[in-house]
Amino acid sequence: MALKKLGSPAALFVGAAAFLVTGLLLAFWYAPTDASTMGFSQKIFYFHAPIAECALLAFAVAFVAAVQYLRTQKSVYDRLGYVSVRLGLLFSLLVMATGMIWGKAAWGVWWAWEPRLTTFLVVCLLYAAYFVLRQTVEDETRRATFAAVFAIIAFVDVPLTFFATRFMPAGLHPVVFTTGGARMEGSMLFTFCLTMIGMTLLLAALLRLELAEQALKEELDELKIRAEAGA
Amino acid sequence: MGRRQYAAILRKDLIRELRTREMLVSMFLFVMLALVIFHFAFSVRAGTDLTYFTGGMLWVTFVFGALLGLNRSFAQEKDEACLDGLLLCPVDRVTIFLAKMSGNLIYLLVIQVLAVPVFSLFFIKTSYAVHLGPFLLVVLLADLGICALGTLLATISMSSRARDLLLPIVFLPLVVPVLIAATAATTGIFARGDGLGSLGGKLLFLAVYDAIFLVAAYGTYEFAIGE
Repeated sequence: MALKKLGSPAALFVGAAAFLVTGLLLAFWYAPTDASTMGFSQKIFYFHAPIAECALLAFAVAFVAAVQYLRTQKSVYDRLGYVSVRLGLLFSLLVMATGMIWGKAAWGVWWAWEPRLTTFLVVCLLYAAYFVLRQTVEDETRRATFAAVFAIIAFVDVPLTFFATRFMPAGLHPVVFTTGGARMEGSMLFTFCLTMIGMTLLLAALLRLELAEQALKEELDELKIRAEAGA
Repeated sequence: MGRRQYAAILRKDLIRELRTREMLVSMFLFVMLALVIFHFAFSVRAGTDLTYFTGGMLWVTFVFGALLGLNRSFAQEKDEACLDGLLLCPVDRVTIFLAKMSGNLIYLLVIQVLAVPVFSLFFIKTSYAVHLGPFLLVVLLADLGICALGTLLATISMSSRARDLLLPIVFLPLVVPVLIAATAATTGIFARGDGLGSLGGKLLFLAVYDAIFLVAAYGTYEFAIGE
């Protein structure tokens, strides 16, 4: 699979660490403190946004794996889908955690019904349901098929949820997460790119590691069954 | 897709429901109970105007009412192994989906036709007869989304061990966008008297949602219903 071409998990981890540590150092000593109302608390952006992107990337991988599974019925795609959703959910929880910390620092409250934060809350609930679904289906092929169908419609639902949150009446807090593209200074953008690459490498490393672990687990289960049958 | 097969499956579902009436009666009673409970839950002060809660109350009630019906619509098929018979027939899976979805849509619409007048009697102080057109459009578009998604997920959850426990857990987070848009639109209509002009964005959103999930269900239903 294409993932294997990325390099060994160890190499990916080293790369991720190098980029993330450099990014962290640059965030504090190179990138200027945000001139707008955000001030120092904006520093968390260099980790918050890459984590969010990686969460969505993981769900996108799960979506592609699901489509591939339905097309080919190969169990390797089911495994890939499963570990991607697991990592995506983990990253989504981290998005919520860092988002809440930022919210507390910038607005003085732990929780605001801000569109992006709200979307990630729904996304967490949505992909948590993925595991409940897997738990309650016993037959393996069926479980893989249902999980794939659910991963497809869940991924389609994410942008819809994001658009829909715009229909909610705006609360006390303005949407201030606009530090995007052209509005970022060069040094900020450079730092952001570093942490972005680092986080993506980390996701790839974790994916490879989890995939290998899952494959070993399945192999072990099979061996156990065979050993029992032989004994 | 066979039009005659579609009509036959839909007819079968409707006839069975008309003979037993178990789904419609329980859905209607549930909706009425929910509205009464909402009254007690939200009337915190004497003479509280609940107009701004109308959209939320209505759509929460409808989504949960639809959930009740969706669970039943496939439980019956599974209990007596009717589904196996249906799957053995030379019928396209998508035809089964469309027929099942239409059945669920009809039940939901019947419930709404009964519940909305009672609801407006209970909660809405002003006349809104002029806004009936836009409201009808919101209801139709939101119902289509709820039933398309719900039928697909009910098919999946009936094959799981947890059955009716699983459906709300997978269905509710996915239906959030419909709930938000329909609630915003309905509240706009009842509380501010919004016309088609100011509802345009929400209606378009609901239509896009419907289209996306109809296509998604069309593509995946064969896998959801199994062999």
